[in-house]
Amino acid sequence: MLLSLTGCGGSGGERTSTNPPSSASPRSNGFVYSGPSAQSPDITRFQTYLWANLINSDRCGACHGDNGQTPRFANSTDVNAAYSAIQAYVSLSDPDSSTLVNKVSQGHNCWLDSDSACAATLTSYIQNWAGTSISAAAQTIDLSAPVQREAGSSKNYPDDASAFSNSVYPLLTTHCAECHSDTADFAQSPYFASADLNTAYAAIKSKIDLNTPEQSRVVVRLAKEFHNCWSTCSSDANTMLNAVTQFSNGVATTEVDPQLVISKALRLTDGIVANSGGRFESNVIALWEFKTGEGNTAYDTSGVEPAMNLTFNGTVSWVGGWGIQISDGKAQASTSSSKKLHDLITATGEYSIEAWVAPANVTQEGPARIISYSGGTTARNFTLGQTLYNYDFLHRSSTTDPDGMPALSTPDADEALQATLQHVVVTFDGINGRRIFVNGQLVSTQDDTPPGTLSEWDDTFAFVIGNEVSNNRLWQGVVRMAAIHDRALTPEQIQQNYDIGVGQKFYLLFNISNLIDLNDSYIVFEVSQFDNYSYLFNAPFFASLDPNAAPNDIPLIGMRIGINGRETTVGQAFSRLNTRLNQADYQNGQQTLSRIGTIIALEKGPDDDEFFLTFEQLGDHSNVYVEADSSVTASANTSTTAVSDVGLRNFAEIRATLSELTGVRSTLPALASTYQTVEQALPATESLDTFVSAQQMAITQLAIEYCNALVEDTDLRSTFFTGFDFSANADTAFDTSGRAQLIDPLIANFVGSNLDTQPTDSAVRTELESLITNLTRCTNTTCDAERTATVAKAACSAVLGSAVMLLQ
Amino acid sequence: MKQLLQSLPLLILSLNQPPEQAHALFPSQTIRLYDYLPPSQRTPSAKLHTLWAARLILALLLLASLIGTSVVYAGSREQAKRLHDRITGVPANAETLDRMAALIEAGSPNEAANVAMTHDAFYNVTLKNWITPWTNLDRTPFAPLNDYTATVIGIIRDDLDFRRILYDNILYTAPNSGAPLYAMTNNDHYAFLENNGISLQTALEQTTQSAMSDLPADATAGVLTTRQGARAFFSSGTNRAQLRYTLLNHLCLDLEQIKDITRSPDRIRQDVTRSPGGDSRIFLNNCVGCHAGMDPLVQSFAYYEYDYDADSDPEGENGRLIYNAEGTLNPDTGTRVQNKYLINSTSFPNGYITTTDTWTNYWREGPNRILGWDSSLPGNGAGAKSMGQELAHSEQFATCQMQKVFKTVCLRPPSSSTDRSKIATMTSNFIGNGYRIKSAFAEAALFCMGD
Repeated sequence: MLLSLTGCGGSGGERTSTNPPSSASPRSNGFVYSGPSAQSPDITRFQTYLWANLINSDRCGACHGDNGQTPRFANSTDVNAAYSAIQAYVSLSDPDSSTLVNKVSQGHNCWLDSDSACAATLTSYIQNWAGTSISAAAQTIDLSAPVQREAGSSKNYPDDASAFSNSVYPLLTTHCAECHSDTADFAQSPYFASADLNTAYAAIKSKIDLNTPEQSRVVVRLAKEFHNCWSTCSSDANTMLNAVTQFSNGVATTEVDPQLVISKALRLTDGIVANSGGRFESNVIALWEFKTGEGNTAYDTSGVEPAMNLTFNGTVSWVGGWGIQISDGKAQASTSSSKKLHDLITATGEYSIEAWVAPANVTQEGPARIISYSGGTTARNFTLGQTLYNYDFLHRSSTTDPDGMPALSTPDADEALQATLQHVVVTFDGINGRRIFVNGQLVSTQDDTPPGTLSEWDDTFAFVIGNEVSNNRLWQGVVRMAAIHDRALTPEQIQQNYDIGVGQKFYLLFNISNLIDLNDSYIVFEVSQFDNYSYLFNAPFFASLDPNAAPNDIPLIGMRIGINGRETTVGQAFSRLNTRLNQADYQNGQQTLSRIGTIIALEKGPDDDEFFLTFEQLGDHSNVYVEADSSVTASANTSTTAVSDVGLRNFAEIRATLSELTGVRSTLPALASTYQTVEQALPATESLDTFVSAQQMAITQLAIEYCNALVEDTDLRSTFFTGFDFSANADTAFDTSGRAQLIDPLIANFVGSNLDTQPTDSAVRTELESLITNLTRCTNTTCDAERTATVAKAACSAVLGSAVMLLQ
Repeated sequence: MKQLLQSLPLLILSLNQPPEQAHALFPSQTIRLYDYLPPSQRTPSAKLHTLWAARLILALLLLASLIGTSVVYAGSREQAKRLHDRITGVPANAETLDRMAALIEAGSPNEAANVAMTHDAFYNVTLKNWITPWTNLDRTPFAPLNDYTATVIGIIRDDLDFRRILYDNILYTAPNSGAPLYAMTNNDHYAFLENNGISLQTALEQTTQSAMSDLPADATAGVLTTRQGARAFFSSGTNRAQLRYTLLNHLCLDLEQIKDITRSPDRIRQDVTRSPGGDSRIFLNNCVGCHAGMDPLVQSFAYYEYDYDADSDPEGENGRLIYNAEGTLNPDTGTRVQNKYLINSTSFPNGYITTTDTWTNYWREGPNRILGWDSSLPGNGAGAKSMGQELAHSEQFATCQMQKVFKTVCLRPPSSSTDRSKIATMTSNFIGNGYRIKSAFAEAALFCMGD
């Protein structure tokens, strides 16, 4: 009933080791061992990596020491005896599953506030001890039959928060707002007691179980974990239970449509952990996986002492599927624990910063500090920062200034930084200098600054994520993992860690045996929590756990993912699947259905959301998928705003019209040049509302040019202004007949005749008469023939550039 | 106009002042007007002339605007004037006006519209301006004539089925105009036509893209595969622009209006992050709505690229369309698919990987059914030609063309129930009339020529 497959898995998976950890120096607190020497190399490793970290009186040494209770694996007087005592409690091939780890993870005398952090730290100790004994090769995953759940009816959160606001919310705001509110002095996520109802509603969903109110985290925390009760825990828990029950009673149950062809159901936690591959962590000296999910501390679980636990300051919240989100704050280690970095890195002269980050945007700069080991805005040992689309690596050495400048950045043109989850690694060593890798690829160019040495490093700085230590270089985004290595990772090691990914992944085996009449048949998805709001359902395949079974041409059409009793409307990437399960494609016990993945919205949280699959056809079972009639009639625009019936001529129409009216070709160089100058100042559209005075000026200028060309062209002007004497002086040219010879053609050609939509002839004539009279008062100017032409141009331009031309 | 009405007292005052005092009232206009004169003409007297010219222009403008905004029952001459103005962009000469007015009076307004459409300005001005914004990313009319514009103009002149603009192997050039030969690597041919005021009505001749370029006939898709269509919408990026702008320009829909988050996201490429800034709600509520339908359509352009030197020629003036024909493999992708389809693949490695140019129209189902897809077409295929046909054969395509024609001729979008009813009638006539645009221009112009 087992099926093995090879796959890649999550961080927290096994690690590979090619070299002994360089940070092998004792991390004790002054204790000097004087007992018998380790009798084997393995005992030496045990002594270095695990025993030395357990013997202290604030750890296991308090009880499991020299004369304490058995097993005495923390015997500080005889490391060989301790080695013997611990054998039954550790698994070097699978450190995660060591009894020692399990015991602590269940709350057995954890020395930190977080049991999971103690477990992770112990795991690291054991991994460090195991070293090369863990294979670098991808491990095989054994698929086994999961629990059987029927896709049941389920209560789902209503979109509207009113039911919550009348039941649980008042209790939360009264008793929990001192911490669990984003406006609290010591704000701790989740903010389910936020003054903003919608914020609180979004945060509470993973803490309430609508189907079984007594299992809600908000009830359990009071009843069994005695978490900040406000009177007596039992009565407080009861009050909370009543409120949750009231909320639940007001929510209608979602029934599974009986017509659906469905698989058995699963929750994420029913899955098989898919942690097969190995991260390269041999030289990790600080590691944050952000698994805790609550509280104000992110634990350094590298197992290298002292632990650089990060304290949250400002708005820093936990992200589902492991991670923290920096909104307006930072996560900072103490200067004393940060000194570990100084000591270990200056010893090797090289290091790497590795992180999985999702920048919130591509507009922040400063550089905005993603990860920094610094003393302020002008002094640092190193910083990984963001400037728009670039990652920046500031690094202090003998060849850079105290601020780590000049920085090494990813090339602008590459836009390597994107506002999505990325694996970024920066390395420094004495040969290659600084290098920046994004998603496994080297993206930085050759570092122009010589490598130098780390002799200038300052051991009084603090390590910080999300801001400068001085709080004035905020970076916004999500950090899902961060690690410091005291060696420069090789490109191969970086690629290896990138391939492994981040976060915990599970194989979910959806049972379809009853639908296809084939034993132990499953559709298997690799599923992980993608971020706070969704799951990733990836690369489905068909598998039977019965080694003798093989599908015989079974149709599989239209597969959809259901959650909490209903199919989701968004993200159904397999709804168009149309394949057949057959022996030809069924290789090594599985048949790939698709290589793609899709994300499905998270509803209640990974502990409570229940998934199942539906099929339009599977084997002999079918259900015609009927899409909800979502077609909407295009809403008729019922606007009745009055719109002008007339408009302007636009830029090109004006030009063509001026040419049409004057007979002057627009291709004349002078006209083409002027048009090019004023083109974009002319009306671009016909709308009257857009008309501005600058456009009138451009029109006028162009009209003057056309009239100038008309009057300067003797053939054109004699045809247009028939009989008008352009050689006469201005004081004689504009007598009665001269004025008529000038004005009449202007009205006839430009204004048109018998058109009620144009100004009357007399109105135009009066204005032109007035203009000519004024312009021919030659008291202070010469009234020669040149002025005659000028006056003619003015009269022409006055009409041509006016509304008689412009309006249509 | 509103600004002018508000400045009425000032205008009246200025008209009653001697020039020197009026100068004080309109200093900025006067100086600007004067400054516009050629340097050789910037004499003191010219300064005064320009002032007076400006004053008179403003006065006339005001006068005419008051006439224009009042309710006017137009006679046949006024109707003929407007018909000509709206169709050609320029006023009719006296003879043409008389002729058109006579036709209107004789009950043949359609004939009158046809008279207007024989004017060169209908092609060189009205249609050039109508089409030019479709041919560039900024959707600006201030752009040179190009092969996209000329081809649409030619199709209209020849009264061809207008849907062919999105899928036919067709191109219009002016081989006997004295212009440089058509080239895949520059726009000189069309720039010459425009700069020399060549009549497009007479100069354009129909040919095929496959004859004038190295594009195989089955890789042609009307304006989408013209040089300018490629330059504007296949340059850099991911080729999604070609679809988005085709929807904007030819279906009158932006993606926001047709986004549908319920379509299957199975064809969304790897470059689309599923968790922008770490928040997948943005993807689930927004991004998926466009990409789910868009990406499987854009796949039809997978073999196209616009090749240019981004450093020395950032505008792509001298770039050219590239098409990976049968047997041509992209060295990076190992298929005929262009690199741009596989860029940023680490944004979501589990996304769709393009290997061919097969496309599917997911919007045939769901709320976008109402766009009226052609039931005689399969809704999927390979390459730009069949995808262009899919779009062109939708009812929305026809409706959009009518909306655009209406706005161009009536100088306003449909803005009353009467207008909208007219659009429906025009669309129906357009479809029934073999998708010929000229008659739609005439119909709209008659509708808006005044009562």
